[in-house]
Amino acid sequence: MAPPSWLRSRPVVAGLVILALGACVPLVGSGYVLGLLTVAFYTAVFAMAWDLLFGFAGEVNFGPTFLIGLGAYTAGILDARLAPNVSLWLCVLAGAAAAVIGGVVLALPALRVRGPYFGLTTLVAVLMLQNMVVVFADLTGGEIGLSVPDVMSVSATANYWIAFGFMAVSGAILYGLSRSPIGLVLQASGQDPVQAGALGFNVTKHKLFAFVVSAFFSGLAGALMVFYMGTASVGTFVDISVGVQIIVAAVLGGRRTVIGAAIGAVFLIAMGEALRPLGELATLIVSLLALLVVLFFPDGILGMLQGRSRRD
Amino acid sequence: MLAWQILIDGFAIGSLYALGATGFTLIFGVSGVLNLSHGAIMVAAAVAAWALAGLAGAGPWAAALGGIAIGVALATLTYFVTVRPIQRSPRVAEAEKEIFILTATLLWGIIISEAIAYLFTNNAKTVLPIVEGVVGWFGVRTPANEYFTAAVCWIAIGLLWLLVNRTRHGKALLAASMNPRGVTLLGIELSRIHLAVWLIYGVLASVAGILLGMFLGVSSYSVGPLTASAFSIVVLGGLGSVSGSLIAAYVVGYLETATAYLISPAYRTIPALLLLVVVMYLRPQGLFGRR
Amino acid sequence: MLRHPLPTLLTSACLAALLPHAALAADPIKIGVIAEAQAVAGSSIAPAAQLAADEINAKGGVNGRKIEVVVYDNHSSAAESVRAFQRAVNEDKVNAVIASYISEVVLALEPWAARLKTVMITPGAASDVITQNIAKDYEHNKYTFHGYLTSSALAGLVCDAGKDLLVDGSKMKSAVIVSEDAAWTTPLDAGYEQCLPKIGLKVLDHIRFSPDTTDFTPIFNKIEGEKPDVMITGISHVGTQPTVQWKSQQVPIAMFGISSQATNSTFWKDTNGATDGVLYQAVSGPGVAVTAKTLPFVDAFQKKYGNLPSYAGYTAYDDVYIIADAARRAGSTDSDKLVDAMEKTDYVGTIGRVAFKPKGDPNVHGLKTGNGYITGLMLQWQDGKQVNVWPKNLASGKMKFPAFIKVQ
Repeated sequence: MAPPSWLRSRPVVAGLVILALGACVPLVGSGYVLGLLTVAFYTAVFAMAWDLLFGFAGEVNFGPTFLIGLGAYTAGILDARLAPNVSLWLCVLAGAAAAVIGGVVLALPALRVRGPYFGLTTLVAVLMLQNMVVVFADLTGGEIGLSVPDVMSVSATANYWIAFGFMAVSGAILYGLSRSPIGLVLQASGQDPVQAGALGFNVTKHKLFAFVVSAFFSGLAGALMVFYMGTASVGTFVDISVGVQIIVAAVLGGRRTVIGAAIGAVFLIAMGEALRPLGELATLIVSLLALLVVLFFPDGILGMLQGRSRRD
Repeated sequence: MLAWQILIDGFAIGSLYALGATGFTLIFGVSGVLNLSHGAIMVAAAVAAWALAGLAGAGPWAAALGGIAIGVALATLTYFVTVRPIQRSPRVAEAEKEIFILTATLLWGIIISEAIAYLFTNNAKTVLPIVEGVVGWFGVRTPANEYFTAAVCWIAIGLLWLLVNRTRHGKALLAASMNPRGVTLLGIELSRIHLAVWLIYGVLASVAGILLGMFLGVSSYSVGPLTASAFSIVVLGGLGSVSGSLIAAYVVGYLETATAYLISPAYRTIPALLLLVVVMYLRPQGLFGRR
Repeated sequence: MLRHPLPTLLTSACLAALLPHAALAADPIKIGVIAEAQAVAGSSIAPAAQLAADEINAKGGVNGRKIEVVVYDNHSSAAESVRAFQRAVNEDKVNAVIASYISEVVLALEPWAARLKTVMITPGAASDVITQNIAKDYEHNKYTFHGYLTSSALAGLVCDAGKDLLVDGSKMKSAVIVSEDAAWTTPLDAGYEQCLPKIGLKVLDHIRFSPDTTDFTPIFNKIEGEKPDVMITGISHVGTQPTVQWKSQQVPIAMFGISSQATNSTFWKDTNGATDGVLYQAVSGPGVAVTAKTLPFVDAFQKKYGNLPSYAGYTAYDDVYIIADAARRAGSTDSDKLVDAMEKTDYVGTIGRVAFKPKGDPNVHGLKTGNGYITGLMLQWQDGKQVNVWPKNLASGKMKFPAFIKVQ
């Protein structure tokens, strides 16, 4: 019996290949490579969550770090204050919940506007969070960061599998959503909201749903990453530069493919590390490469792998 | 007098914001581009002026002019490297062009700012002031530089207004922002208009950057906040409305200054942010937005 | 202290048999250096460490082993630093790490030093939290050493200098504390509030400004209105901007205290000379022979690299020697043994006599300060040069101020 058509689609094949490769890494990779990929996998989830919101709902979102930061800091602060009375997994869930609430609060004003105004609203959210973290430094550790007493594991391999599993499951859910009827409506409303509305779909409700899903995964990933690194700081979770990295990862990988965002994130982080010996020029070169990809291969890495421009 | 201090200080800051925002809004209005490398161009011009003065021994006027030249060159490069290729690319769907240009200008901005940090480190630099010393008007001792900054900003804005409203080329620009097709029918080449806009933008952004460098100082760390602040002001004022940007710039400038003087310097940026939040919620198209 | 040769021989033989790729007994002591290459303060860390390693190797190394420095640029990012640390320990198998001058980075690395059981010393961060974390959980965090002064120690040293220079010397009576609102200044300011009255300076006000302030006019105007004799500063993230605006506004009050950027030899150029008259605390200064080792280090650094080292260069240079010294005394690079040996450090470096506070102290593994240990210096920019004005026995000039400053 032939495999179902969705299994044969390019993004899924790419995704499965990556997963297979990923599963082999612990057999051959050192602790360093495992650590690198662990962070890359969490960033992949950030990027996939962003792609769902932007790629599909069509909204330029500058503030993935608002949601991530909310998740990360909520989990971190709870653990720092309440440990050992509370398990870190509870803190993680609390972080995800905080991000969802934040996502809804952000969505309310944000969804009433389009384009650059939406972008600005999300940007303002990030700036506000950044300011709040600094102002309430006793709670959040301010700009030097917050140390959390608990970590998920000290073993590089265990951390790797947690991140890998999380990325695989999140990717599957997010990709599945994107191909589901809900996802198709999102895509339609992203490309032509008027027509989508005319067809009877409640565009706002769908976008809100996208917001909530994106927030949930972003917050969850942020919270998990805090318990991997052992610290939460503005520079790692909230800063606009992190948001920029996520946006670049998603566009680089190929927008509206979900899987592409994950590929882009892993690629960016791996490139950054590979170029480490170049020291100061590494970021410049990675940005230059990303720019070249954006200019000459607008469908991103996934598009390049497919060999020609995709038509939707 | 505290009131005069706030008045003049807020005016200088507001003027700087206004100059930066005007350039930003001009590009959006005519080219339809949200140039996220805005802050980088401003800082590059300022650092170039500093470098020319410090390393090549140029005087303040020569250094400033050199800085403007470099800023204009970068702005034009921005157009040719990030904006034009994507606008003309057949491989990118129309609806996608905006996000791609956005990402491209973002990356370009990062490249410029990393280059600055690599060549000159990320330490803050100040540009050699053209006007030095203090003046004691109205019982308040103020650096003469502040008055100079405000004056230059307004001269630049005034010249721009004259250009757009009184010259043929300027009117073509205005027409192009409203109806690109119509302009081509009149025999004016759109690509030359685009180039002209980016050149003008380059001058505005460079002057703003250099004045900022003289008055307050810049570093590669300033790049992000400068872009974010220009973006916020322009959207607050209403995208596409130059007068809106001007007013919004002064509103934000005065809010920040008044907060720093009257409440506490630690909370300087918060009221402006809160204002943005309120406006986004109540009047999402900005104070004077037309769309 | 001699170790019995037989166990070493046996262990080496076993290791040599088990690890075919490892060189025999002369395998190098690897020190990882994680630093911010683009920041002026951080750019000296790696070169200074390399200089120290070269010197030690020229004299035969440590117990016959050479020191190898492995450098990682962290782009001032905590996340990148963590990755670099993991790479250093897991891939490149370093025995110890010298990391960063940024508190955020060091705090992010502290749990990893604990997890990966690797000795880490910072040549420049100031946060008290670093040592407080060690006190809170000594068993896990004992691998971290604070090779620079904590904020509270800095406050104490500024007050020491202030007593001699401002109160006894210039008969000043009042001060305003002005610092950036950042986590590192919280203990600094608390220290100032406590020690300034004790030396005879009344604290009229305490102003904390947002670290991304670019316009300092309102702040200076407010301070002027209160008419203090001096401004006691705590700034690091900003430096050029407030200094330039201080001069262009001609604020008639001197600046004294911590101003990290003022320690850079390029600061005069960066501010176009506006820094003339600014007094700043440092552990080193050009031409100041804090110890017999200071000036030879500076000369060697300048000869090899062409520029003067930043403050973190001095401490990074010392840190390599401290690690080497500990490894020599311990006879091993095993982390726990290194920790024990480092705790017993009594080393005269380029910034003074280095010894670490013992277990039980609230700032355990921090530097001992005060007479006989690290006292720091107080320098002032005068006519394009950084001149040391305190302590008296190391001073090469007296305080003098530009015309717009009013001092008795």
